[in-house]
Amino acid sequence: MSNGELRVVSPPELWGLAAEFSTVDAFLAAVAACRKAGYVRFDAHAPIPVHGLDEAMDIRPSRLPKLVFLGGLAGCALGLLLQWWTNAVDYPFRISGKPLFALPPAIPVVFELTVLFSALTAVLGLLVANRQPELYHPLFELPAFARGSDDRFFVVVEAKDPRFDRHGTEEFLKSLGAESVFPVEVR
Amino acid sequence: MTALVELMLDRRSLGEVGSKLARAAAFFGFACVAFASVGAWLWEPWRQRFFPAYLTAFAWVLSLTLGTLFFVVLQHLVRAGWSVVIRRLAEFFAAQAPLLAVLALPLLLGLHDLYHWTHPEVVAEDPVLLGKKPYLNVPFFLLRLAFYFLFWSWAGRFYYRASVAQDESGDVGLTERMQKRAAPAMLVYALTVTFAAFDLLMSLDPHWYSTIFGVYYFAGAVVAAFALLISAGVLVQRAGYLRRTITREHYHDLGKLLFAFVVFWAYIAFSQFMLIWYGNIPEETSWILRRTADGYGVIGLVLLFGHFIVPFAVLLPRSIKRSPGTLLYPALWLLLMHYVDLYWLVMPEFGAATPHLVDIVLFFGLGALWLSGAARLASRHALAPQKDPRLVESLTFENA
Amino acid sequence: MSQPAIWDNSHDQPGHRAPLVLGDDSFGAITQRVATIVEKPKPPRWWTVTFSISLAFTVVLLAMLAYLFTVGVGVWGLNVPVAWGFDITNFVFWVGIGHAGTLISAILFLFRQKWRTSINRFAEGMTIFAVICAGIFPAIHTGRPWFDYWLFPYPNQMQMWPNFRSPLMWDVFAVSTYFTVSLMFWYVGMLPDLATLRDRAQTKLRQLVYGILALGWRGSARHWHRYERVYLLLAALATPLVLSVHSVVSFDFAVSQLPGWHATIFPPYFVAGAIFSGFAMVLTLLIPIRKAFHLEELVTTRHLDNMAKILLATGLMVGYAYGIEFFTAWYSGNHFEAFTFYNRALGPYSWAYWIMVFCNVVVPQMFWFKKARTTPWILLVGSLFVNVGMWFERFVIVVTSLSRDFLPGNWGIYKPTWVELLTLAGSFGLFLTLFLLFLRFLPMVAMAEVKSVVPQAGLERGPHRGHGQYWGEIPHQHEEILGGEGREQR
Repeated sequence: MSNGELRVVSPPELWGLAAEFSTVDAFLAAVAACRKAGYVRFDAHAPIPVHGLDEAMDIRPSRLPKLVFLGGLAGCALGLLLQWWTNAVDYPFRISGKPLFALPPAIPVVFELTVLFSALTAVLGLLVANRQPELYHPLFELPAFARGSDDRFFVVVEAKDPRFDRHGTEEFLKSLGAESVFPVEVR
Repeated sequence: MTALVELMLDRRSLGEVGSKLARAAAFFGFACVAFASVGAWLWEPWRQRFFPAYLTAFAWVLSLTLGTLFFVVLQHLVRAGWSVVIRRLAEFFAAQAPLLAVLALPLLLGLHDLYHWTHPEVVAEDPVLLGKKPYLNVPFFLLRLAFYFLFWSWAGRFYYRASVAQDESGDVGLTERMQKRAAPAMLVYALTVTFAAFDLLMSLDPHWYSTIFGVYYFAGAVVAAFALLISAGVLVQRAGYLRRTITREHYHDLGKLLFAFVVFWAYIAFSQFMLIWYGNIPEETSWILRRTADGYGVIGLVLLFGHFIVPFAVLLPRSIKRSPGTLLYPALWLLLMHYVDLYWLVMPEFGAATPHLVDIVLFFGLGALWLSGAARLASRHALAPQKDPRLVESLTFENA
Repeated sequence: MSQPAIWDNSHDQPGHRAPLVLGDDSFGAITQRVATIVEKPKPPRWWTVTFSISLAFTVVLLAMLAYLFTVGVGVWGLNVPVAWGFDITNFVFWVGIGHAGTLISAILFLFRQKWRTSINRFAEGMTIFAVICAGIFPAIHTGRPWFDYWLFPYPNQMQMWPNFRSPLMWDVFAVSTYFTVSLMFWYVGMLPDLATLRDRAQTKLRQLVYGILALGWRGSARHWHRYERVYLLLAALATPLVLSVHSVVSFDFAVSQLPGWHATIFPPYFVAGAIFSGFAMVLTLLIPIRKAFHLEELVTTRHLDNMAKILLATGLMVGYAYGIEFFTAWYSGNHFEAFTFYNRALGPYSWAYWIMVFCNVVVPQMFWFKKARTTPWILLVGSLFVNVGMWFERFVIVVTSLSRDFLPGNWGIYKPTWVELLTLAGSFGLFLTLFLLFLRFLPMVAMAEVKSVVPQAGLERGPHRGHGQYWGEIPHQHEEILGGEGREQR
């Protein structure tokens, strides 16, 4: 709605159909119905994390937590090795009667590096798994989609889906209680 | 709504099973304590070991009551909804302070054996202890203990009584009263637990001091309390009670809290240990040295791994916290580890780290006596609140 | 599903959870209320005025730093025995301020305290800016700040490594980790809201800037799924992190053998104090801003009430630590230890000590009363007292212990110079400058998160009703979530 009209330069190509919903319930039901109807290349977009959406779409639990655990282990090992090797091996320096390397005073740095590496893994992992930054997406061509980050919910079926059929799918989405169904076109 | 509550809520008490359990536990506990006492009467090594072992076991059962009392008061303080269905079990345990006051009486016979500073001739020759005399003297010590137990008994009984009364009346005003008293009760609780830890455990070595000691004892007690609640919940459900009342979701939360307090305990233990290690001041370090020599170093390592590293790793995955049958084992293990922690605090003041039969007999003895008290209450009242205003929220609770 | 318009939602009715957002709580209304603040072409007048003043103080800060760097640390009043003064006091003060942000965003998140959603963005922003201010002080107190990079372990031609047994090194790791993780947490949490601003942008420039910042967020279900996991993980990591940061700061003191510094309770005591001071700062900033931007329906009386309760609780923890320290100083039988505390209360800096006790222990007692917790101006005054008191707490710890150590021949008195006073004032200028910029250009309330706790999100119905969302209605289809041991796992 913010762009005004888009000027079409080359003949547009249909990328998919976007159905707009205004309530969580209708949206969740529509997502479940799409899955039941056998669509595979479809996605759901919401302004908030909708509870029950994972089940409705049958999203497998993310493997990120395991990756983060490994990141944390790496940080922990690095913290230990760094302190031991620098202070006890490469540059042994006796100070304030403390052993060259001991666990108690090493814990803080080990802990901080564990957390740092875990958090970096989590955030970088999120971006990689979500393939972001992704500054262009066909959906951004659709002016109505601007409300997808405000108060509207969208179910989007891609044209690539084997079951996709311009009119059949449109009718199907309308039958699910969509406020309106928009074609998403790319140039 | 009523249909839902009818379907999910178990209205039964432990009933006859509970009274049987209470009688059996009381009998067994008495037998154990009597056996240890007779042994102490007859054999010198048993006599020497009796009071330290009694104190360790006593501190253990005391922390089960104090930890659960903290849980109960906290739930009212923060107006928690999710925990209603497990709160009653905690109330049974938290109401055991009067029984503990009775169990504390034998300690009075052993003050001379336990506490160095009760000997006037020792204090007279020790300028440091002489300086502490206004605090560390027997009459004031007893007065303080009396006050602690009076407060804990009042708090434990108040929350138990009000909650049970609500089962009948369904009076929302009771919840309001329990909430109103939660904040001041928590304040007095913090002070009494701190000074009880100073008095009962820290003053075993009257020269040593650590400002964090009260928090250390508290942290261990809360770990034990969550471990106890998980164990009690699973065992009661296995016996056929509360089967639909306590769900996976509640265990998940209890597991998370257990995990959090395991980490908190480690944090407090590390803070105390590292600062003393680093400062290396003789009067402080001697306490740590005694706990790393004569075999106690091994116990220290057992604590490091058994009270922190292993439970940390075991409790980390979500799947374990969500399967009560599995969660039971780390919970039972941590209950034991809390005893080991107290053993490590008490025993180094009384010789080498060789476990003694008396330790085990009194551990089971006091544990059984304490359990009989809780079982007696459980035989009379429903095992979950019946008309708590937040009952439905708790029954239908899910981890979002 | 909107609730009737009530202004006081701080009532406590067991069994009925109060609504967290008042007035029109539809998604659209929430977006409108928050987003329009940053979309106005011109800032409000008060913003321009306070911003100019803050900017002026920032310039003062830069001038003081330039003076310090060109002349040397002699421009400060530090001298043996008091080698730490305003520098470290300010450092600990600012790091502490930051802690409330992490507490609200991470710890309250783990505790499912959904009221946090109205204030977490704001508090997280405050964390970032406070840590920036904090970072300045240890960096400039080193004497030769242009060599600060020596603090980092990197291979160098001197073939030396930093000494990891020193708690000052732990600080480097703790504070930089804290800053990095807080920044990521803040930014990740902001992605959906940045997308909202992008989608609402009316100018090319705004579209471009918010578009880039939003990284192409489009609310895909799969993205949300990972996003929620990562947010939870970051919260779970930030929680022990926030404890560790102020613990490490406390280690700077507590590993020493100096009476008044060497106390085992320091780590948790510092953490409680940090949260206490941080919440006070959140309230100090939030109460006027909530009024200025008319956010009373998002940041409700209940929010203020809850924060005041946390202020009271953490204030009591701090009071507990003061008491236990005092008791142990006597109980220890150590003359030096006892003298230090006697000196704090009755010595040359006793005025600072009693300001601390009054502001941190006496003043918060008024929050036992609901009237004080729910009246904004009383709360504002109380929080200002706590800010002052917590600054003095650090001053008392740093200065009194150093000024009176074991040998009377070593005793000395520290007085800050005008340079130190202006540096502190300048750090407030920098903090407020950054903060006002944040209010102007970024969404100060987490829109997506607030939306997910209002009735329209559908949480109060069906099997996916979240905790704290209970309005007394009973969901219908309970058969499918019935529990017991045979319960299905999702």
